[in-house]
Amino acid sequence: MLELADVHTYYGNIRALRGVSLSVAPGEIVTLIGSNGAGKTTTLRTILGTVRPRRGSVTFNGHRLDTLATDRIVRLGVAQSPEGRRIFPRMTVLENLELGAFARPDRAAIAPDLERVFALFPRLAERTAQQGGTLSGGEQQMLAIGRALMARPTLLLLDEPSMGLAPILVETIFQIVQDINRQGTTILLVEQNARMALRVAHRGYVIQTGRIVLQAAAVELLRSDLVRKTYLGEK
Amino acid sequence: MRRALRWPALVAVLLVYPFVDRGLGLQTVHAVSDGMIYVLLALGLNIVVGYAGLLDLGYAAFFAIGAYAMGLLNSPLLGSPLYGHPWSFWLCIWLAAAMSALLGLAIGAPTLRVRGDYLAIITLGFGEIIPVAIRNLGDITLEIGGWRPIERLNLTGGENGVNPIGRPYLPGVPFETDPVPWYFLILVIGAASLWAMNRLRDSRLGRAWMAIREDETAADCTGVNPISTKLLAFALGASFSGFAGSVYAAKLQAITPGAFEFQVSIMLLCMVVLGGAGSLKGVILGGMLITIFDRVVLSQTTFFVRWIGRAVGVPALVSADLTLWRWFFFGLGLVLVMLLRPEGLAGRRVRPIVVGGDDLGDSHVEPAPAPRVDALPGWLRDRAARGGASATASILEVQGVTRRFGGVVALNEVDLVVPRGAIIGLIGPNGAGKTTFFNIVTGLIRPDAGRLVFEGASLAGLRPNAIVRRGIARTFQSIRLFPEMSVLENVLVGEHCRLGATVAGAVLRPPGVVAEELRARDRARELLAFIGLDGKAHDLARNLPYGDQRRLEIARALATEPRLLLLDEPTAGMNPRETETLTVLIGSLRRELDLTILLIEHDMEVVMGISDQITVLDYGVRIAEGSPAEIQRHPRVIEAYLGTGYEPEPHA
Repeated sequence: MLELADVHTYYGNIRALRGVSLSVAPGEIVTLIGSNGAGKTTTLRTILGTVRPRRGSVTFNGHRLDTLATDRIVRLGVAQSPEGRRIFPRMTVLENLELGAFARPDRAAIAPDLERVFALFPRLAERTAQQGGTLSGGEQQMLAIGRALMARPTLLLLDEPSMGLAPILVETIFQIVQDINRQGTTILLVEQNARMALRVAHRGYVIQTGRIVLQAAAVELLRSDLVRKTYLGEK
Repeated sequence: MRRALRWPALVAVLLVYPFVDRGLGLQTVHAVSDGMIYVLLALGLNIVVGYAGLLDLGYAAFFAIGAYAMGLLNSPLLGSPLYGHPWSFWLCIWLAAAMSALLGLAIGAPTLRVRGDYLAIITLGFGEIIPVAIRNLGDITLEIGGWRPIERLNLTGGENGVNPIGRPYLPGVPFETDPVPWYFLILVIGAASLWAMNRLRDSRLGRAWMAIREDETAADCTGVNPISTKLLAFALGASFSGFAGSVYAAKLQAITPGAFEFQVSIMLLCMVVLGGAGSLKGVILGGMLITIFDRVVLSQTTFFVRWIGRAVGVPALVSADLTLWRWFFFGLGLVLVMLLRPEGLAGRRVRPIVVGGDDLGDSHVEPAPAPRVDALPGWLRDRAARGGASATASILEVQGVTRRFGGVVALNEVDLVVPRGAIIGLIGPNGAGKTTFFNIVTGLIRPDAGRLVFEGASLAGLRPNAIVRRGIARTFQSIRLFPEMSVLENVLVGEHCRLGATVAGAVLRPPGVVAEELRARDRARELLAFIGLDGKAHDLARNLPYGDQRRLEIARALATEPRLLLLDEPTAGMNPRETETLTVLIGSLRRELDLTILLIEHDMEVVMGISDQITVLDYGVRIAEGSPAEIQRHPRVIEAYLGTGYEPEPHA
């Protein structure tokens, strides 16, 4: 479904990705784990076209994404919950969510999806008329995820969805990830909470300084020495 | 050209230029001198717009004040009894600068709380007011009952302006007949101003301006007083235009209100933006380019176009006058520059520049090495030891703090006593009011009710920067660094409130100030070494990876020499290994520096591992308080926050 082949992405002269190749099959949850600055967020940005690779290709269901404008990519069925939330601070919670569905042709199905998001995050339902910028950090995180879900994507890119959330919600988030995956959404998940990510994912990639250094089924990665020492914090 | 030769070469060119001009009969000295006056104006505006980030659309008002100060004080003919005796140019130039600075304060004061569009509109208003006032103050009659204390007083010359204006007098220097002395006079004033600005920029004041520009709230919470900082920018920026205005008036020998209209403000702004806001070199370039283009290129090209028109026989070209199109060309030039080089001709590139090949760039992507707890700066240790004599057992006492936002009660009668040297965890569901609590302690928002006592003194009514000075520092949940400043500068802004250099000190650099600045830089470097960022001191903060940014924020907070440190989700977005190092670091801050720490954190291993006490908030109400072990078993905490899936660590 999604295929990155030898992707090199630069910020100015800085090489952020140095030949990343990865693939995501329909129906999968794939997680990308790595340290800060390893290139996880850059990988997601490259997929969504907010930065362009200097070399290599990104293909999604037969479409080349690396030359396509971001809004076209979203219309193809890719949505993301970005790092740092990036909600629309002066628009209400409801407007933020409605904008998530901006590119959808099936207007009629939007209302039930809105209900679904409110069921997932009751906190957002309490605050529909509040400006996004006045929400607490964790609530903004919920809003960013909800907004991505409103696009009803076939491929969902999640960048650190558990960041800033209370433990009770972290569980919920990973449950949601599994639920929407069962309902047919393919997910590429970037997480610092590697343990949780690997528990819900089917497969995982480990990225270090812009290169994929390891890929395997999630259960195997949970057992790998490298992952356990570096990313799970085990001694 | 070699770097070492560049300055002497430039000076030589500037010194020889007017004589070459005379030799060749170019007659451009006048235009170049006027250009330098505009450059000086643009440099003053650059302090306001480029450094402090305050968009000023009415800057020509200061120019007008400078010019009229000179005009009124130094004109032999003006009808006012006050001004019958012209004062010396050399005195008036200083008075003009002082007048402009005063007006800068007057304009700055009401605009302090507005930014961006609002500030632009207000300054636009001031820019309109001044020429109109000057026009109408040419004929003043004050009537009280039948008594007229002032009758038909001509204060400003009205629409006709002031004419003539006295010229500077120096024995043997022909200011009356020759443009060359003017050139050198303006060159000297310009060079002195540039020298002063350069020093100001590299001082604690310059850093404060830039910090305000980057993020006013973060600057306030780092100990920079935004009000005095902005006022200083307005006043200093205005004083430079006072110099420029007074020289302009004396050089022209006549001024009219028409010379200070809105277009002049816009043209000055164009110079700053075209060259690159915040870059001295850029502003000089922008100012010279625009003036030379306006005064020389357009008129010369007009001759050329007419000549072509005659040669080819096109009547439209023969009668063309390109000077009428000057605003068209300004506009076009600006549009092109903004499209091709939005940072200006000589501004700092927005994209990072890495000198050398690809492999040099790698270090920027990789996160910095772990913090080195062993490298804890000695000076911080000394500070901690010196301040340890305080008697009260609790460092912070919060009583009954309540805060409402519209209908939502964000905090409801929250009490918290923070013992000296403790690490207090603050946890609770998202939206429980934890960050609001931090905002109240740091003075960012005022509580509707309740008392806050820090080190035995109330914090009521204090602005964030005053609270930082008292010894409370914080980090932000969504990192708020000064992104376009270097890593080192970010930490130096943290030291701002512990440094004392004034404007005079920053410009003249007496030994005390030099020593203070060197010490500040040493301390900042030590802090960076401690936090593990010493290899990146000169990177822009925005180019750091996420985890490094979090650590830089902690270093900046430590630079303010706090007694109480508020950390808002310091490990968010960090992997377990980074989290562990940071946890060790937080522990060592408490152990080594006797620092008291309030910690908002969702990583339970961290909170439970290092907190002495934990307070739990839910919907703005404190629902539990106790040791980590008690909190882990607390049914309401499990229900509202931890969830049933949370398993307490066996060792906790």
